[in-house]
Amino acid sequence: MLTFLPTLARWSRAVAALAGLSLLAGCDLNFWRMDGHQSTMVVEGPVARDQLYVFYVTCWVTLVIFIIVGGVLAYATVKFRARSEADEHAEPPPQGHGNPLVELGLIGGSVLALVFIAIPTLRAIWTTHDVPEAEKANAYEINATGYQWWFRFEYPSEQATVDANIKMPLVTGNELVIPAGRPVRINLRTVDVIHSLWVPKLAGKVDMIPNRANFLWLKADKPGYFWGQCAEYCGDSHAVMRFRVVALGPREFNDWLDQQLQPARNVAPVPANANRPRAQFTALRSFKTNEAGITAKFDVNPLESWKEKQAPEKDEDAALVAQGKTLFSSKACITCHSVRGHVGAGIAGPDLTHVGSRSTIAAGLIENNREQLRRWIRNPGSVKPGNKMAKGYVDNKIVISTEEEVALAAYLESLK
Amino acid sequence: MDALAKPAYLTHEEHAPSQPKLLVHPSAKTGLMSWLTTVDHKRIGFLYGFFALFFFLVGGFEALLIRTQLMVPNNDLLTAQQYNTLFTMHGTTMIFLGVMPLSAAFFNFIMPLQIGARDVAFPRLNAFSLWTFVAGAIILNIGWFLPSATHGAPDGGWFGYAPLTSKQFIPKHSIDYWVMGLQLLGVASIAASLNFIVTIINMRAPGMTMMRLPVFVWMTLVTSFLIVLSFPFITIALVEVMMDRQFGTFFFEVSGGGMPVLWQHLFWVFGHPEVYILILPAMGIVSEILPTFSRKPLYGYPIVVFSGACIGFLGFAVWSHHMFTTGMGTVATAAFSLATMAIAVPTGVKIFNWIGTLWNGHLQMRTPMMFALGFVWMFMIGGFSGVMHSAAPADAQQQDSYFVIAHFHYVLIGGSLFGLLAGIHYWFPLMFARQVSEFWGKVSFWVIFVGFNVTFFPMHFLGLNGMPRRTFTYDPNLGWNVPNMIATIGSYILGVGIVIYFVTIIYTFIKGKRAARDAWDGRTLEWSLPNPPPEYNFRVIPTVHARDAWWYEKHHREEIEKERALHAKEEEAHGGIHMPFASIWPFVASCGLLIGAIAVSALDSNPAPGIHLKLGLALTGAIIMFIGIYFWSLEGNEGYHLHLDENGNPIEDSHAKH
Repeated sequence: MLTFLPTLARWSRAVAALAGLSLLAGCDLNFWRMDGHQSTMVVEGPVARDQLYVFYVTCWVTLVIFIIVGGVLAYATVKFRARSEADEHAEPPPQGHGNPLVELGLIGGSVLALVFIAIPTLRAIWTTHDVPEAEKANAYEINATGYQWWFRFEYPSEQATVDANIKMPLVTGNELVIPAGRPVRINLRTVDVIHSLWVPKLAGKVDMIPNRANFLWLKADKPGYFWGQCAEYCGDSHAVMRFRVVALGPREFNDWLDQQLQPARNVAPVPANANRPRAQFTALRSFKTNEAGITAKFDVNPLESWKEKQAPEKDEDAALVAQGKTLFSSKACITCHSVRGHVGAGIAGPDLTHVGSRSTIAAGLIENNREQLRRWIRNPGSVKPGNKMAKGYVDNKIVISTEEEVALAAYLESLK
Repeated sequence: MDALAKPAYLTHEEHAPSQPKLLVHPSAKTGLMSWLTTVDHKRIGFLYGFFALFFFLVGGFEALLIRTQLMVPNNDLLTAQQYNTLFTMHGTTMIFLGVMPLSAAFFNFIMPLQIGARDVAFPRLNAFSLWTFVAGAIILNIGWFLPSATHGAPDGGWFGYAPLTSKQFIPKHSIDYWVMGLQLLGVASIAASLNFIVTIINMRAPGMTMMRLPVFVWMTLVTSFLIVLSFPFITIALVEVMMDRQFGTFFFEVSGGGMPVLWQHLFWVFGHPEVYILILPAMGIVSEILPTFSRKPLYGYPIVVFSGACIGFLGFAVWSHHMFTTGMGTVATAAFSLATMAIAVPTGVKIFNWIGTLWNGHLQMRTPMMFALGFVWMFMIGGFSGVMHSAAPADAQQQDSYFVIAHFHYVLIGGSLFGLLAGIHYWFPLMFARQVSEFWGKVSFWVIFVGFNVTFFPMHFLGLNGMPRRTFTYDPNLGWNVPNMIATIGSYILGVGIVIYFVTIIYTFIKGKRAARDAWDGRTLEWSLPNPPPEYNFRVIPTVHARDAWWYEKHHREEIEKERALHAKEEEAHGGIHMPFASIWPFVASCGLLIGAIAVSALDSNPAPGIHLKLGLALTGAIIMFIGIYFWSLEGNEGYHLHLDENGNPIEDSHAKH
């Protein structure tokens, strides 16, 4: 039995090595490239770049130490191993207790290695903390507020029209649109529990903590579309509390602002005698719990896909939109949602004034299209467990029929 | 010496004052009562180990459910609620009901043997710690068996960040179980630690100076100090959460001006030392195993001890590195960043010295040695990813991502758990007088080792690729599918390894082959004992002449024999071996605590009769506890004397007052 043991050990090592190799060769290269939508390794802004640089420094320094120390450990394990029964029972080796000089040398070496890590760390703590002095004047300010489980974004410097006499800061939800190439300073607030704002490709996270005036800054090198996610456990639906960041060039950003500052869009009524076919709607298929609400098509060029959402839908059904607009008040949606210029001034849920121009709904979770809108309206609790919309109208026994659901979706989609 | 002998009227035939019936000392040696009333540190250690391993399997099962949910994107095996409960309980169970009590099992069983003592300083307090730990474990888990809409198991995360734990956001009782469960575990841990500290300071055998203590004893001492100093912080914080939830105070309630970030500071001032509470005992075990199987002393003993203490001190100075993303500002972030890096030095020193211990040795590759070497490798990887976190800017990306999960599982499984599994194999022949099969031991090691790495190594990649932790689902377009699948397969392999390990251990426990005395040619005092060690541990309290006391004895037999014979005579003249009485009262006191804690955590104050029920039951619990403590104190510190025959068997029990 005992003679079999070293063979077994050698075998299992060979198997482990083989398994490692086949993994390398066989599977999705994505895994090793780490270039997903939320990658911290393929970065697109100076803050994330500084953080990545520090990571590489720590990684290389520790890797070198690991190879040296691990090498010595492996050597010692092989070299000083008792090779036979007799060897084991041989006279015990010299009972030495150590050498202070060796110890001191190793301690000195470790300290030196840490200095290598400490210097870039200290530098980056300051550069990633706040907008650099030189760029402060150019920085764009945004207030982000965390809710269970979505993000509200407010643009304090942009005055949006509510009606002829009233203006208020522009508010959007779950899609943060920023100017590319300009530093953006985001004030972080929360109305309930602790959340954390994280856009891995642009900057590491900073928490939104009650009674605490946190902020972070980030900058996108060039226009782009970025994935973000809440990074602090915040209750039932923490996993599906996501958001997107869209960085636009100066002209496009201004165009976007102009559109957003307008009150909600009205769809021109179609004359009664116009011979336009009513929109056809099919029965909504059933969705599995946690089923993904995304299409591969969107990811091919997410920024372009987002831009497409800015224009009105081609097959808009004015009658259906008008019906949806009425339902939006009669089904009590207005209690929680605002649609600037239309009825509705609720603040418990996201501002929906221009919801049709967003690429996602339900906090960056599912794509903004007819099917997903209907899925969300029909059963918000199954998409995002425990959310307030489920409590708000489902628990209050407000019934929405299939046709009403279609009309509401059409209305929301029209809000470009 | 005759002057020291006890006068005759004290040793025999005196009429003990008649005692009330309640104070008759339990005398069962077998059966349930013997276990409930035991004050023997070895039996208590065994019970700690038994419960710890049970909860370790429970926590492992929870982990497998978590991994199964994450095997594929958008899985719907578990609901969000169930998933959140599982990750909360997995963490809480593994830390407080798995690793800590398993360490306590070794502190109890091994530490007194290593310092040449007959028991711990306060045997009944030791029993109280054990039963209070069991009570805490019951409270923590009771929610599983109650309706999940109003009760349920804790689901606020093992870190329980305010204000999520407030009644506004989690109105059900799950958080109350967590609060009261942790409070009881805190009581148990602090009582046990005080006991260990007093034992190590006061009950060392003659000649066992501090700098001759086995490293495991040193680590017991440092860990005990960490527990005594760090648990009060969580106790205070939990009392504040309890007051917020039960009495409407505003410590963390934002609506009343509470400060949620205060919770984080209090929690991590406890929580970071806690990390070292989990790892230092394993380091101690490894520092025993490596010398034994290298057949030479630990390299640089003083510096290993000093670095252990140093880690303990620094452990209190780095708590805010868990809070780098809370907006502490540049100076505080820099300070905690540098302090955290500093901790890498004493930790590195330990690794250097372990390698130094192997150097020039005759390494015997037995199962405990395999686990110990696995520990050194895995702990190194976990340590290096820890250094990466210490750089605050890098941590801003890693915090709360799977990279962190990979890191702390490398230190907690690859570190703590490998150390503890090594310890079980190492001391098994001593504890149970049976020898574990080397073949199956090594098979279990390799399966665990491979499964562990396949599970947790891909998580580094997941974290760097932006996957946040504590998420019950993820979308398929983020590049996380393959590593998640690999990690889940790895977790099943790890599970199989753990099953092999436990089947081997249980089989050996029942029908394994008898172990020889001093099975590994050990170096420390516990190996001088017959296996399993008798109730009284040492027939004669040994005199210690060198650091590796038993190794020295084995090489200076004649001198030691003479010395021992002399001591035996002296002790007999003192009236024999003094043993403490067994007692049921610590168990009763713990039962009172359990009842009170259930009342506070499980009962509603409203509607109407609620508050009366709740108060009534809480007071009942308190009264039972006080009855337990009262009679316990009436018992006094009596004991009895054992006299041994040639073979070390007791020849008579003479009940005599001490």
